[in-house]
Order: sequence, then structure tokens, then C-alpha cells
Amino acid sequence: MATDPRHATSDGELLQAVGAGDRGALRALYERHTPWLVLRLSRRCADPGVVEEVVQDTFLAVWNGARRYRGQGDVAAWIWGIGIRRLIDRLRKRSPAPAPVEEWGPASRSAEEEVLLGVEYGNLGAALNRLSPELRAVMQATVLDGLTTREAARLLGIPQGTVKTRLMRARAELREALA
Amino acid sequence: MTTWHADTSLLTAYSGGTIDDARAYSLEAHILACETCRTALATTADRGRLDRMWAEIAEAVDVPRPDIVERTLLRLGVREHVARLLTATPSLRLSWFAAEAITLGFAVLSADAASGGRREDLALLLFLMVAALLPVAGVAAAYGPGMDPTYEVGLSAPMRSFRLLLIRAAAVLGASAVLAGVAALALPQIDWTAAAWLLPSLGLTLATLALSTYVRPLVAAGAVSFVWIFLSVVATFHRDDRLIVFRGGGQIAFLLIIAASALVLARRREAFEGGAEE
Repeated sequence: MATDPRHATSDGELLQAVGAGDRGALRALYERHTPWLVLRLSRRCADPGVVEEVVQDTFLAVWNGARRYRGQGDVAAWIWGIGIRRLIDRLRKRSPAPAPVEEWGPASRSAEEEVLLGVEYGNLGAALNRLSPELRAVMQATVLDGLTTREAARLLGIPQGTVKTRLMRARAELREALA
Repeated sequence: MTTWHADTSLLTAYSGGTIDDARAYSLEAHILACETCRTALATTADRGRLDRMWAEIAEAVDVPRPDIVERTLLRLGVREHVARLLTATPSLRLSWFAAEAITLGFAVLSADAASGGRREDLALLLFLMVAALLPVAGVAAAYGPGMDPTYEVGLSAPMRSFRLLLIRAAAVLGASAVLAGVAALALPQIDWTAAAWLLPSLGLTLATLALSTYVRPLVAAGAVSFVWIFLSVVATFHRDDRLIVFRGGGQIAFLLIIAASALVLARRREAFEGGAEE
């Protein structure tokens, strides 16, 4: 995969260079990681302006905090950890905006599609998709994004207790569907 | 690294937002660990948007970090542009303060050494003379062509040069006063003489500013300093009271000088808007 010279350097090495104040290295990291970061943030925040601010916040944090990276785990995961928390910060600063939960979730799908998906991805994918958008949002924030109950509550704009009960319900439904 | 990679249709569905959540989850989890799929996803990105966001990041990265003096000023509630202007003042740098402190230190040392001797009041006179003169030098070095690195910038700035001058002069005066005040505490005896330089320093500084509406700042400061030193030297011949310049009559004279200088400054402030040099 190392045919492109830009990818000859590993993320870890780039991050080290950023820590030493190399702006070019920051640009290289930006080029590698911004596209997926923008897409992933956009699935969690419907406002493109906020997403852009969060991306900028994130790379400024990378610039200022590159020396704190201890070289454990993927750099991408580290960047995501910064990004999702910056998103929470930004959303908290804005008054209690309605959580964009309602805008998620694919529109109603045809029965045929449901069957095809079930075949392609087995029971788990179908079971996940059958969860209500609210339950899925909680699963996504805690299981996939690795947020604490408190952070998930802030991101989704719901009380912590609700996050916990929804998570429990989502687990119960999945267990039932896969049984 | 895993050998599984997302196919094009999956990536397109993800970047287009037409993917269902379950597949999005698996892709998102995979992408954190897979450079190949990240690279593939990058081809769908909006180039213009990426460049626009980068421009703002680059700008924020390029802003120099304020140095310790500027950070202290900002923490004290000084507004950002004023703090930047003050820290660009040559006589508000740490090196300048160090020079002032050393000068005052020698004056205090000589006063201490002469304590109790015949030349005691002579040494005290030296200290007072130096303490009153320091802000004059500071103000002269604080602005004007050839001294101020931001002089040309200041002329074209929306802020009036006169206001900038007053801000800087006040800052220089304040900083010098604090240094001289601390130094005075180290004098052999602390009585009225420890603060007798205060009015003279204010008077000399304002006189320098007023005079520099006619001539260049350095010339003005030189003239004021010369007159001041001359007066002090003359005072040493006054055997009964060598500190006569600093007594009641002298202090009142300095009050008059302050008032007259302020009047001149108020009437001739236009001279600072780019016309003070030859």
C-alpha cells in the first residue's frame, strides 16, 4: 500500500512531527483523516457549520496536544476521541437544541429490502436496524463511539437515566431478536 | 490488519448518507483501524470544503503565542490589541526593565554606602535624580521613528497615534514608578525623600512629551534630561540643603510643569499624527 509517497510515513510518525511543530505534518494528517471524520460527525450532527467547527477544533487540539499521544492504539481512534468530545462541547454551548435523533434512521424501507439486508448481513444487522431510532442512537453513542453515559446524554440531549434505560432496552431487544 | 475491505457501493452509500445504521456502524468501526478504506473514502470528499476548513486551521496555527508579558496583561483584563501594542514597546521589554533595575540598584547601593557620612544627601540626590529620569528615557524609547518597530504600522492604524502614545507613556511611567518605589524601600532611611521623585518624574515625562510635539522625541528627552541634570548639579552647590529641588517649592514647580505640559499636549496633539519627525 506504500506506493503513494504521502503514505510512506505512518500516522504515528506524522504525529511525532506535529508535536515538534511541523505544520506540513499536520496538513498531511488533516488530508488523511478529515474525510472520514467529517462524514462520521455529520451522521451525529445535522448542522454542517457545527461539523466544520468541530473539525477545526479537533485539528487545533491535535496541533497543541500531539505530544500527549502516547503511541497506544490507532491514531484515527485517538482523533475520533477528540472529535466526538469536541462535538459534545459545541452542542452543549448551544442552548438545549433538540437532539437530531429524529432526522436519523433511513426512511421506511420496502419489505424486499428488509429481506435482502437480512440475507446479506445476517440477523444482527437486521436486528440493529429494527431498533427504534432512539435506542439505536444510544447504542451508537455508547457501544460504537465509546462515550460514557454522561457524554452520551450530553450528545443526545437526554437525561443520563434515560440513556441507561434505553441501553438496557436495546440490549434486551437485540438478545431477543438473536435468540 | 484485516483483509476485509469495504466495497465501493458501501463507501458511496456511507458518504452519500443512504446507508442503514447497522452497516454504517460496522463501517465506522472498521475505518478507525483501516488505512486502505480511509484512503478510499477520502476520494469522495469535497475538495473545496476541505481547503476552506484547512485555511482556518492554518490561520489559527500561525497566530504566534503571546509571550509572558502579553499573557499577564491579558489576564489582568487589558484588551488584546492594547496588550499587543504595549508588548511591542521597546521600553516595556524585560531587557529594558532589567537595565532600569540595575541602574536603580547602583543608585541605592551608593546611597547605602554613603549612609551616615558627609556625602549622605549627595547619594540620596543621585538616587532621586535617576528615579525621576528613568521614565523620560523610557518614554523617549517607546515611540517615534527609529525606535518603535511598529512606528509605521502605528501611523496607518485606525487608532490615533496620540492615544497610543498616552497608553504607552502611562505604561512606561507606571512600570518605572513601581521599580523606583521598590528600590526606594532599600534606601538607608525611609522618609518623605523615598517618594520625592514621584512628581518630578511625572513632570519630566510630560515635559518630554510636550516638547516632542516640536522636536523629535529623542531630542526632547535629551533636552529635558540635560536641564534636569544641570539643575541637580547646581543644587549640590547649595551646601545647607542639597535636596532643595525636591522640597516644597520644587514640588510645586513640578506641579506647574505638569499642568503646562498637559495643556501643550492637549493643544498640539495633532503633531503626533505623523508630523513629529522632520
